[in-house]
Amino acid sequence: MSPVIIVLAVISAVLALTMLFTKNPITSALCLLGVLIMTAGIYGLIGEHLIATIQLVVYAGAIMVLFIFSIMLLNLNTESTDFKDKPGLFVGAIAMGFSVFGFIAFALNEHFANHRQDFPMGEFTSDKVAALGGNSKVLSHALFSQFYISFEVISLALLIAIVGAVVLAKRKFD
Amino acid sequence: MTNDVLIQVLAAFLFTIGMLVVLLRRDTIMVLMGIELLLNAANISLVAFSKSGGMIDGQLQVFFVITVAAAESAIGLSILVNLYRNFGSIQTQSATTLKG
Repeated sequence: MSPVIIVLAVISAVLALTMLFTKNPITSALCLLGVLIMTAGIYGLIGEHLIATIQLVVYAGAIMVLFIFSIMLLNLNTESTDFKDKPGLFVGAIAMGFSVFGFIAFALNEHFANHRQDFPMGEFTSDKVAALGGNSKVLSHALFSQFYISFEVISLALLIAIVGAVVLAKRKFD
Repeated sequence: MTNDVLIQVLAAFLFTIGMLVVLLRRDTIMVLMGIELLLNAANISLVAFSKSGGMIDGQLQVFFVITVAAAESAIGLSILVNLYRNFGSIQTQSATTLKG
Protein backbone atom coordinates (compact mmCIF):
# COMPACT_ATOMS: atom_id res chain seq x y z
CA MET A 1 0.00 0.00 0.00
CA SER A 2 1.65 3.16 -1.23
CA PRO A 3 2.06 5.82 1.50
CA VAL A 4 1.44 8.68 -0.96
CA ILE A 5 -1.97 7.26 -1.86
CA ILE A 6 -2.80 7.00 1.87
CA VAL A 7 -1.88 10.66 2.36
CA LEU A 8 -3.97 11.74 -0.65
CA ALA A 9 -6.92 9.62 0.51
CA VAL A 10 -6.81 11.04 4.05
CA ILE A 11 -6.56 14.63 2.78
CA SER A 12 -9.50 14.15 0.42
CA ALA A 13 -11.61 12.52 3.15
CA VAL A 14 -10.91 15.44 5.52
CA LEU A 15 -11.71 17.96 2.78
CA ALA A 16 -14.98 16.16 1.99
CA LEU A 17 -15.99 16.27 5.66
CA THR A 18 -15.13 19.99 5.79
CA MET A 19 -17.27 20.48 2.70
CA LEU A 20 -20.21 18.84 4.43
CA PHE A 21 -19.95 20.76 7.71
CA THR A 22 -18.86 24.27 6.75
CA LYS A 23 -21.52 26.96 6.39
CA ASN A 24 -19.85 29.13 3.75
CA PRO A 25 -20.51 28.01 0.14
CA ILE A 26 -17.16 29.33 -1.11
CA THR A 27 -15.31 27.22 1.49
CA SER A 28 -17.32 24.22 0.35
CA ALA A 29 -16.44 24.90 -3.28
CA LEU A 30 -12.73 25.19 -2.47
CA CYS A 31 -12.87 21.94 -0.47
CA LEU A 32 -14.54 20.22 -3.42
CA LEU A 33 -11.78 21.60 -5.64
CA GLY A 34 -9.23 20.07 -3.26
CA VAL A 35 -11.00 16.70 -3.38
CA LEU A 36 -10.96 16.76 -7.20
CA ILE A 37 -7.23 17.62 -7.30
CA MET A 38 -6.43 14.82 -4.83
CA THR A 39 -8.47 12.45 -7.01
CA ALA A 40 -6.38 13.49 -10.01
CA GLY A 41 -3.28 12.69 -7.94
CA ILE A 42 -4.61 9.21 -7.15
CA TYR A 43 -5.35 8.59 -10.83
CA GLY A 44 -1.80 9.62 -11.69
CA LEU A 45 -0.31 7.38 -9.00
CA ILE A 46 -2.13 4.25 -10.20
CA GLY A 47 -0.92 4.96 -13.75
CA GLU A 48 -3.98 6.51 -15.39
CA HIS A 49 -2.25 9.60 -16.74
CA LEU A 50 -4.81 10.61 -19.37
CA ILE A 51 -7.70 10.42 -16.91
CA ALA A 52 -5.67 12.42 -14.36
CA THR A 53 -5.06 15.17 -16.93
CA ILE A 54 -8.71 15.29 -17.97
CA GLN A 55 -9.77 15.37 -14.32
CA LEU A 56 -7.51 18.37 -13.70
CA VAL A 57 -8.43 20.28 -16.86
CA VAL A 58 -12.17 19.63 -17.07
CA TYR A 59 -13.28 18.95 -13.49
CA ALA A 60 -10.91 21.04 -11.39
CA GLY A 61 -10.38 23.65 -14.10
CA ALA A 62 -13.65 24.23 -15.92
CA ILE A 63 -16.50 22.93 -13.77
CA MET A 64 -15.25 24.29 -10.45
CA VAL A 65 -14.54 27.71 -11.99
CA LEU A 66 -18.18 27.72 -13.13
CA PHE A 67 -19.31 26.92 -9.58
CA ILE A 68 -17.14 29.55 -7.92
CA PHE A 69 -18.17 32.09 -10.57
CA SER A 70 -21.87 31.54 -9.89
CA ILE A 71 -21.35 31.68 -6.11
CA MET A 72 -19.69 35.07 -6.56
CA LEU A 73 -22.30 36.19 -9.14
CA LEU A 74 -25.20 35.43 -6.79
CA ASN A 75 -23.26 36.91 -3.85
CA LEU A 76 -23.97 33.96 -1.58
CA ASN A 77 -22.84 34.25 2.00
CA THR A 78 -23.51 31.97 4.90
CA GLU A 79 -26.64 29.84 4.56
CA SER A 80 -29.49 31.70 6.24
CA THR A 81 -31.08 28.48 7.49
CA ASP A 82 -28.85 26.24 9.55
CA PHE A 83 -28.94 22.74 8.10
CA LYS A 84 -28.57 21.30 11.59
CA ASP A 85 -31.81 22.91 12.81
CA LYS A 86 -33.64 19.58 12.79
CA PRO A 87 -31.33 17.45 14.97
CA GLY A 88 -33.34 14.25 14.51
CA LEU A 89 -33.13 14.42 10.73
CA PHE A 90 -29.47 15.42 10.86
CA VAL A 91 -28.36 12.62 13.19
CA GLY A 92 -30.56 10.09 11.37
CA ALA A 93 -29.12 10.97 7.97
CA ILE A 94 -25.54 10.84 9.28
CA ALA A 95 -26.15 7.49 10.98
CA MET A 96 -27.82 6.02 7.89
CA GLY A 97 -25.06 7.28 5.59
CA PHE A 98 -22.24 5.92 7.69
CA SER A 99 -23.92 2.57 8.27
CA VAL A 100 -24.29 2.22 4.48
CA PHE A 101 -20.61 3.16 4.20
CA GLY A 102 -19.70 0.52 6.80
CA PHE A 103 -21.55 -2.20 4.89
CA ILE A 104 -19.92 -1.18 1.59
CA ALA A 105 -16.44 -1.13 3.17
CA PHE A 106 -17.01 -4.55 4.73
CA ALA A 107 -18.24 -5.97 1.41
CA LEU A 108 -15.25 -4.48 -0.45
CA ASN A 109 -12.81 -5.96 2.06
CA GLU A 110 -14.49 -9.34 1.73
CA HIS A 111 -14.45 -9.11 -2.07
CA PHE A 112 -10.77 -8.26 -2.33
CA ALA A 113 -9.77 -10.75 0.36
CA ASN A 114 -11.63 -13.83 -0.84
CA HIS A 115 -13.36 -13.40 -4.19
CA ARG A 116 -10.97 -11.34 -6.33
CA GLN A 117 -9.50 -14.43 -8.03
CA ASP A 118 -12.96 -15.53 -9.24
CA PHE A 119 -12.88 -12.78 -11.84
CA PRO A 120 -10.47 -13.32 -14.74
CA MET A 121 -7.99 -10.57 -15.55
CA GLY A 122 -8.73 -8.57 -18.68
CA GLU A 123 -6.44 -8.17 -21.64
CA PHE A 124 -4.96 -4.77 -20.76
CA THR A 125 -2.57 -5.45 -17.89
CA SER A 126 0.03 -2.80 -17.03
CA ASP A 127 2.79 -4.53 -19.01
CA LYS A 128 0.55 -4.95 -22.06
CA VAL A 129 -0.49 -1.29 -21.97
CA ALA A 130 3.17 -0.22 -21.69
CA ALA A 131 4.07 -2.43 -24.64
CA LEU A 132 1.23 -0.99 -26.74
CA GLY A 133 2.60 2.57 -26.33
CA GLY A 134 1.25 3.81 -23.00
CA ASN A 135 -2.00 4.62 -21.33
CA SER A 136 -2.97 7.66 -23.43
CA LYS A 137 -2.39 5.87 -26.73
CA VAL A 138 -4.40 2.79 -25.75
CA LEU A 139 -7.33 4.81 -24.40
CA SER A 140 -7.41 7.18 -27.38
CA HIS A 141 -7.28 4.28 -29.84
CA ALA A 142 -10.24 2.60 -28.15
CA LEU A 143 -12.12 5.91 -27.94
CA PHE A 144 -11.80 6.65 -31.64
CA SER A 145 -12.35 3.12 -32.94
CA GLN A 146 -14.56 1.03 -30.67
CA PHE A 147 -16.46 3.89 -29.01
CA TYR A 148 -16.62 6.48 -31.80
CA ILE A 149 -20.44 6.57 -31.96
CA SER A 150 -20.63 7.21 -28.21
CA PHE A 151 -18.03 9.93 -28.65
CA GLU A 152 -20.08 11.68 -31.35
CA VAL A 153 -23.31 11.33 -29.36
CA ILE A 154 -21.73 12.75 -26.20
CA SER A 155 -20.34 15.73 -28.14
CA LEU A 156 -23.85 16.40 -29.50
CA ALA A 157 -25.27 16.13 -25.97
CA LEU A 158 -22.70 18.65 -24.73
CA LEU A 159 -23.61 21.06 -27.55
CA ILE A 160 -27.33 20.76 -26.73
CA ALA A 161 -26.61 21.33 -23.04
CA ILE A 162 -24.62 24.49 -23.75
CA VAL A 163 -27.34 25.90 -26.04
CA GLY A 164 -29.92 25.03 -23.37
CA ALA A 165 -27.87 26.76 -20.67
CA VAL A 166 -27.61 29.94 -22.77
CA VAL A 167 -31.37 29.92 -23.46
CA LEU A 168 -32.23 29.29 -19.80
CA ALA A 169 -29.92 31.98 -18.45
CA LYS A 170 -30.95 34.59 -21.03
CA ARG A 171 -34.74 34.26 -21.03
CA LYS A 172 -36.86 36.27 -18.61
CA PHE A 173 -39.79 34.18 -17.44
CA ASP A 174 -42.87 36.26 -16.73
CA MET B 1 -5.32 -3.94 2.88
CA THR B 2 -4.01 -3.22 -0.56
CA ASN B 3 -4.13 -0.12 -2.73
CA ASP B 4 -7.27 -1.39 -4.46
CA VAL B 5 -9.20 -1.75 -1.21
CA LEU B 6 -8.01 1.65 -0.01
CA ILE B 7 -9.13 3.42 -3.19
CA GLN B 8 -12.49 1.63 -3.22
CA VAL B 9 -13.10 2.49 0.44
CA LEU B 10 -12.20 6.12 -0.32
CA ALA B 11 -14.71 6.09 -3.20
CA ALA B 12 -17.41 4.69 -0.88
CA PHE B 13 -16.59 7.35 1.73
CA LEU B 14 -16.77 10.21 -0.79
CA PHE B 15 -20.06 8.79 -2.09
CA THR B 16 -21.46 8.78 1.47
CA ILE B 17 -20.39 12.38 2.04
CA GLY B 18 -21.83 13.45 -1.32
CA MET B 19 -25.13 11.78 -0.48
CA LEU B 20 -25.23 13.53 2.90
CA VAL B 21 -24.48 16.89 1.25
CA VAL B 22 -27.38 16.35 -1.19
CA LEU B 23 -29.72 15.28 1.64
CA LEU B 24 -28.82 17.79 4.32
CA ARG B 25 -27.74 21.10 2.80
CA ARG B 26 -30.38 23.74 2.05
CA ASP B 27 -28.65 25.71 -0.70
CA THR B 28 -29.36 24.54 -4.24
CA ILE B 29 -25.73 25.19 -5.17
CA MET B 30 -24.61 22.84 -2.38
CA VAL B 31 -26.93 20.16 -3.77
CA LEU B 32 -25.26 20.58 -7.19
CA MET B 33 -21.81 20.33 -5.57
CA GLY B 34 -22.94 17.17 -3.79
CA ILE B 35 -23.91 15.68 -7.14
CA GLU B 36 -20.42 16.50 -8.46
CA LEU B 37 -18.91 14.71 -5.45
CA LEU B 38 -21.14 11.67 -6.09
CA LEU B 39 -20.07 11.53 -9.75
CA ASN B 40 -16.42 11.89 -8.73
CA ALA B 41 -16.72 9.01 -6.25
CA ALA B 42 -18.29 6.81 -8.92
CA ASN B 43 -15.45 7.75 -11.29
CA ILE B 44 -12.81 6.73 -8.74
CA SER B 45 -14.53 3.38 -8.26
CA LEU B 46 -14.83 2.76 -12.02
CA VAL B 47 -11.18 3.60 -12.73
CA ALA B 48 -9.81 1.56 -9.82
CA PHE B 49 -11.87 -1.56 -10.56
CA SER B 50 -11.08 -1.34 -14.26
CA LYS B 51 -7.36 -0.84 -13.54
CA SER B 52 -7.16 -3.73 -11.10
CA GLY B 53 -9.05 -6.00 -13.49
CA GLY B 54 -6.80 -5.22 -16.45
CA MET B 55 -9.49 -3.52 -18.54
CA ILE B 56 -9.90 -0.08 -20.12
CA ASP B 57 -13.72 0.08 -20.31
CA GLY B 58 -13.99 1.84 -16.95
CA GLN B 59 -11.57 4.56 -17.98
CA LEU B 60 -13.52 5.15 -21.20
CA GLN B 61 -16.75 5.30 -19.22
CA VAL B 62 -15.17 7.99 -17.05
CA PHE B 63 -14.68 10.21 -20.13
CA PHE B 64 -18.40 10.13 -20.76
CA VAL B 65 -19.25 10.64 -17.10
CA ILE B 66 -17.04 13.75 -16.97
CA THR B 67 -18.71 15.13 -20.11
CA VAL B 68 -22.16 14.51 -18.67
CA ALA B 69 -21.07 16.18 -15.41
CA ALA B 70 -19.95 19.25 -17.33
CA ALA B 71 -23.28 19.42 -19.19
CA GLU B 72 -25.21 18.88 -15.97
CA SER B 73 -23.40 21.63 -14.09
CA ALA B 74 -23.90 24.12 -16.96
CA ILE B 75 -27.66 23.42 -17.05
CA GLY B 76 -27.94 23.26 -13.27
CA LEU B 77 -26.21 26.59 -12.70
CA SER B 78 -28.35 28.36 -15.30
CA ILE B 79 -31.49 26.95 -13.63
CA LEU B 80 -30.05 28.27 -10.36
CA VAL B 81 -29.63 31.76 -11.80
CA ASN B 82 -33.28 31.65 -12.89
CA LEU B 83 -34.32 30.44 -9.44
CA TYR B 84 -32.50 33.37 -7.88
CA ARG B 85 -34.17 35.81 -10.31
CA ASN B 86 -37.66 34.49 -9.59
CA PHE B 87 -37.54 33.84 -5.86
CA GLY B 88 -34.68 36.05 -4.67
CA SER B 89 -33.10 33.12 -2.89
CA ILE B 90 -31.62 29.75 -3.78
CA GLN B 91 -32.71 27.92 -0.65
CA THR B 92 -34.47 24.68 -1.52
CA GLN B 93 -37.49 25.54 0.62
CA SER B 94 -38.14 28.85 -1.16
CA ALA B 95 -39.21 27.29 -4.47
CA THR B 96 -42.48 25.68 -3.39
CA THR B 97 -44.79 26.95 -6.12
CA LEU B 98 -45.56 23.41 -7.30
CA LYS B 99 -46.69 22.31 -3.84
CA GLY B 100 -50.32 21.22 -4.09
